[in-house]
Amino acid sequence: MASENRLARAAWVGTALAPALTLLVVTAYIPIVFALTLSLYYRTAFNPRLVWAGLDNFAWLIAQDALWAALWRSLVFTIGSVSLQIVVGLFFGLLLNEAIKGRAMMRSLVILPYLLPTIVIGLVFRWIMNPQYGVVNQILLDLGLVSQPINFFGGLKEAMPSVIVATAWQYGSFAALLIFARLQAINPRLYEAARTCGAGPWRSFLDVTLPNLRTTLLLIALLRGIWMFNKFDLIWIITAGGPLEATETLPVYVYKIAFQDFDFGRATAACVVMFLILLAASFAYFRFFNPTKEVEVGR
Amino acid sequence: MRKHDAFSRRGVLKGSLAFGAGLSAPQVMVRSARGQNAKRLVFISEESSPKAQAAYERINADFKRDTGISVTMEYPGFTNIAKRVATLIAAGTPADLVWYGAGTALEVAVQGQLANVDDVVEEVNAPQNLRLVVNGHNRSIPTSQQFVYAWYRSDLYEKAGLKPYTDWESYLSAVRALNKPPQQYGNLIPSTALGASHLLMFTMLQKNDAHWFRFDPAKKEYEVALDQGENLARAVETLDFLHEAHASSPEASNYNWAELMSEYSTGKLANSYYVGARLLEQVQTNNPELAPVTKAIALPTRKTDSYYISVQGFHIGEKSNVDGAKNYVRFFLKHPAYIDWLHSVPLHIIPAKRETLRSEAYLKNETIQKRMDVLEFLESVWGKGTPPYYWDGPELNPLYGLYTNDSLGGWMLAERNIRKRGSREIVQQAAETIRKKKADLARRRG
Repeated sequence: MASENRLARAAWVGTALAPALTLLVVTAYIPIVFALTLSLYYRTAFNPRLVWAGLDNFAWLIAQDALWAALWRSLVFTIGSVSLQIVVGLFFGLLLNEAIKGRAMMRSLVILPYLLPTIVIGLVFRWIMNPQYGVVNQILLDLGLVSQPINFFGGLKEAMPSVIVATAWQYGSFAALLIFARLQAINPRLYEAARTCGAGPWRSFLDVTLPNLRTTLLLIALLRGIWMFNKFDLIWIITAGGPLEATETLPVYVYKIAFQDFDFGRATAACVVMFLILLAASFAYFRFFNPTKEVEVGR
Repeated sequence: MRKHDAFSRRGVLKGSLAFGAGLSAPQVMVRSARGQNAKRLVFISEESSPKAQAAYERINADFKRDTGISVTMEYPGFTNIAKRVATLIAAGTPADLVWYGAGTALEVAVQGQLANVDDVVEEVNAPQNLRLVVNGHNRSIPTSQQFVYAWYRSDLYEKAGLKPYTDWESYLSAVRALNKPPQQYGNLIPSTALGASHLLMFTMLQKNDAHWFRFDPAKKEYEVALDQGENLARAVETLDFLHEAHASSPEASNYNWAELMSEYSTGKLANSYYVGARLLEQVQTNNPELAPVTKAIALPTRKTDSYYISVQGFHIGEKSNVDGAKNYVRFFLKHPAYIDWLHSVPLHIIPAKRETLRSEAYLKNETIQKRMDVLEFLESVWGKGTPPYYWDGPELNPLYGLYTNDSLGGWMLAERNIRKRGSREIVQQAAETIRKKKADLARRRG
């Protein structure tokens, strides 16, 4: 009787999990295994023939200065972009949390950049920041703030900060929403207690708001950090990695190996390197920040 | 010792099976080509303007009615077509037919993925200079071509009392005289590692008779020669010339083809180079007042009149429905809508054959009739251009992709004009880059 129950339970659990597991295996695990193994072969795009390469693709990759330069740029882009997104998110999250007029409409406006397709954002940014006919340069020139137009996306020094700003504009709203949701859940009595103790708005922010937001901010840093490290579309649309590799992050570098050199073996080897970096970063995150404990404290 | 800490026979077996399955996964997943489907053709076209698509629809409908073969079209666009072709081959499902640049198809042909089309090329009597011969056989059926030349504002030249330029000196004088930033710039020198910059650098190297490679008749192979002898001096001179011209150029975001057209059609430029007449079409659409004063002109010469020819044509997959695809090409070239297809961007898609250019049917087009000056210009430079893979020697250069895929000419311009490095150092580094890639290719091919 007991074994029949166990069997029925196993069948039920198996049936319930099968669709999700199948989807996961087909869309995630098989491509990962495929990429991992393809990185061990010589494989050009125009020839389906596979030739065993062992670790040669990795050896080639590690010897490329371009890989390390792209890795450095990825770190700059990720840290810069995530920091700015958190600042933007914090600003708008706090603003939305205030009982101000038109708050409902503001919420919709804040989420708007996140809803726009990336291609639209890329093209609009390229247009408004164009050195010749972009509205941003026109305003700066009219106000006398600059004497020459700034080449935001075409200048060697300007390109990376400009791409970071464009990304933060798009994804700051994601941070704002999460921060706003967390702010709504903070017990108002904590602020009352702070006021009773003589704390002003700034002290309340430091002693009540920020500690309560800690878990959310760490979560945003992790999620957005992974997404930004893998970010390709917006950078490609705006600068294609240029000028002169100034915005060539790891995903752009991998794309160029795959679709300029048409070398899929080396491109997948580079993907594996990216995967390992993210895996190491995730381990470090869980090791040092212990999010499970953070969530429990947050409760 | 706990059981899971030890190496058990079952554990080792499981591990080995998983490892073996992992290693064989690509072999299993990368299918061989899907083979022939006699009743269907998958056709990928680079040209995707609405007028071209309408012409394709007419031809495809008639082809299906006559042969029973249906044609499935794909339009990935100019910038993505090489990637689409590559991913289909990699997936084991190559397209039957691809219409795009022969230069882009060269690498596919070198890898043995394009069918022998000698019979069709002979039937249509394709011009010799537009043929793509790889491993002794034609791999491309040329339909059309685009020349690299330039456009200038005749009104500005007249107002300044200038004659159109002919050589490098007169070019620099003209662009300097017409440079009045920020309202108007003398010209635009795109400077980034993308196609628009690369093609300009390539054409100007041709004008100065500088070569990337040298053909060794004894070995019957190409050697890198950009940094040797006269080539080095000429390449340095070319880079310095374009650097001087860049002083009269606006900066742009990424210098892609669209930016070139935007800068010109907004009236910011007195001169702009382009590949073909799409620039004129964009001016006619977006700033019609500028169109009548936008005139075609050859890029300034130094030692030769040569220019870069971009040849387009049909390419048939080696493991596809080869007979069906060949019949389609024959049908296409004889169909009345072929002329409409050539007219889809008038004067931009130039017919492969001169007699087609001069034919009554081709001339019967409103834009062409209005701009016979452009047609006369095309006639005047006809036959002087060279496809890039034949520039460095009598034989097709199969290594052309080593410096073209990553737009090395554009990189050279960017290093000179944006990072401001010295020309000699840049040319030497470019040559070394090609050498390294060549050695890497040879090592991997064993």
